[in-house]
Amino acid sequence: MSAPTPDAPWSAAASPAADGYAVKLPLFEGPLDLLLHLIRINEVEITDIPIASIAEQYLAALELMRDLDLDVAGEYLLMAATLAWIKSRMLLPPDPSQADEEGGDPRAELVARLLEYQRFKEVAQEFDGRQLLGRDVFAAQGAEPEPLPEAEREIEVGIFQLVEAFRKALLRSGPKGVPHEVEVETVTVRDRILVVMQALATRESCDFEEFLFDAGRPVSREVLVATFLAMLELTRLEAIGLYQGIDAEGVPVGPIHLRRRGEIVDGTWMERISELM
Amino acid sequence: MNETTAEETSETPMEREPQRRIVEAVILSSPDPISAARIAEVLPRCNPSQVRAIVRDLNEEYVARHSAFEIWEVAGGYQMRSLPEFAPYLRQIQKTRPLRLSQAALETLAIIAYRQPVARAELEQVRGVDVGGVLHSLLERDLIRVAGHREVPGRPMVYGTSRRFLEVFGLAKLGDLPALREVAELGVADEEEEASPAVEAPTVASESPEGEATRIECAPDGTA
Repeated sequence: MSAPTPDAPWSAAASPAADGYAVKLPLFEGPLDLLLHLIRINEVEITDIPIASIAEQYLAALELMRDLDLDVAGEYLLMAATLAWIKSRMLLPPDPSQADEEGGDPRAELVARLLEYQRFKEVAQEFDGRQLLGRDVFAAQGAEPEPLPEAEREIEVGIFQLVEAFRKALLRSGPKGVPHEVEVETVTVRDRILVVMQALATRESCDFEEFLFDAGRPVSREVLVATFLAMLELTRLEAIGLYQGIDAEGVPVGPIHLRRRGEIVDGTWMERISELM
Repeated sequence: MNETTAEETSETPMEREPQRRIVEAVILSSPDPISAARIAEVLPRCNPSQVRAIVRDLNEEYVARHSAFEIWEVAGGYQMRSLPEFAPYLRQIQKTRPLRLSQAALETLAIIAYRQPVARAELEQVRGVDVGGVLHSLLERDLIRVAGHREVPGRPMVYGTSRRFLEVFGLAKLGDLPALREVAELGVADEEEEASPAVEAPTVASESPEGEATRIECAPDGTA
């Protein structure tokens, strides 16, 4: 969309084109933008719009847009109707029964909308004036493009990678040769599913290995097995995906990531899983 | 906090020299903005506030030697960026097209930034035009994200700004957005649900961006 040049609202700059002339008209961002423009060139206050005169100029602008074969969107026509309504209301003596409800001035609502829109137009201008990344400033891109955990550089993890990761984790897990202690640890797959989901409740992805440690120490084999099954279950339910980076040859390398899947922004994500379990 | 401030001041920039070079290398090689906390993890005997002090030293150093780049704090982390004066040259060697945002995109983004989470209907109410196409393009460019649904009939989607938005617009956090100009003093009744504009407008100006920042962190449960 080309930038509006509001100082010349109706001057249609014609430029030669293949078949005759292509007419380029300054674009307004909508009826509010057009109204603000009219208010500015008439040098009147937004809070005290001479509605009859502005409405007339507004309609003239629409006429011109139509003459130029521009598609005058419905929003412009709606605003024209609003202006006509306000104009008629201005001609009537104030209705005492409605005085306290609308504060009397039929322009009030339009004024509020114009002020609000103007405020955001100013913000938009401020935004545009910033030093934007990719336009005014450029970031150091990091070193060589490593296999990053970004969606396009990742593949879904196959069962072999998963089993390999699990085997490594098992080797690291709590000691198995210590004198036998009778201590019943009841950990269920369901418990671990909740742990995994909790971890993904505030983040989009996390590391596979994260779940293999508890306060810095490897979890027990029982917990490990339950965690592994929990991940498989969540994957089967398509609640999470398992991903791993690939190198230039397409060989999977690096840690395995868990990532939320599907309607990730939907607050019912957890509920849905609880239902399925 | 007091303790770290003391540590921070007890070391002169010269004493921080080896660490300074490490911080510089870490920020340079990080593909995304990297937080002070994350940098502190790889530095022996260093806490985040010391990292922040080192970054300040580095930026002073860059200014002193007329460097072509500086360190910015964006989206909660540090990133090395070229100075704006080099943009005309750098644009020519970029692989991607330079960023261009239409007036419609900027206006829509502005409203989303201050009003998030916000539904499409509210954006159209403010702008007075259809915003479907603009929303699509902003989503595609990762500048906004779907922040959930509103629990009203039709469950309309609500939108918020993304992390990418902070990066592109050079904001450390949403709270750093400039305050909205107040319209309260004009004494104009806003919409029906905003019965007391004299109170409403300043609230939007000062609190909204801050408040929404927390909401962004708990995005998955972000249904209003």
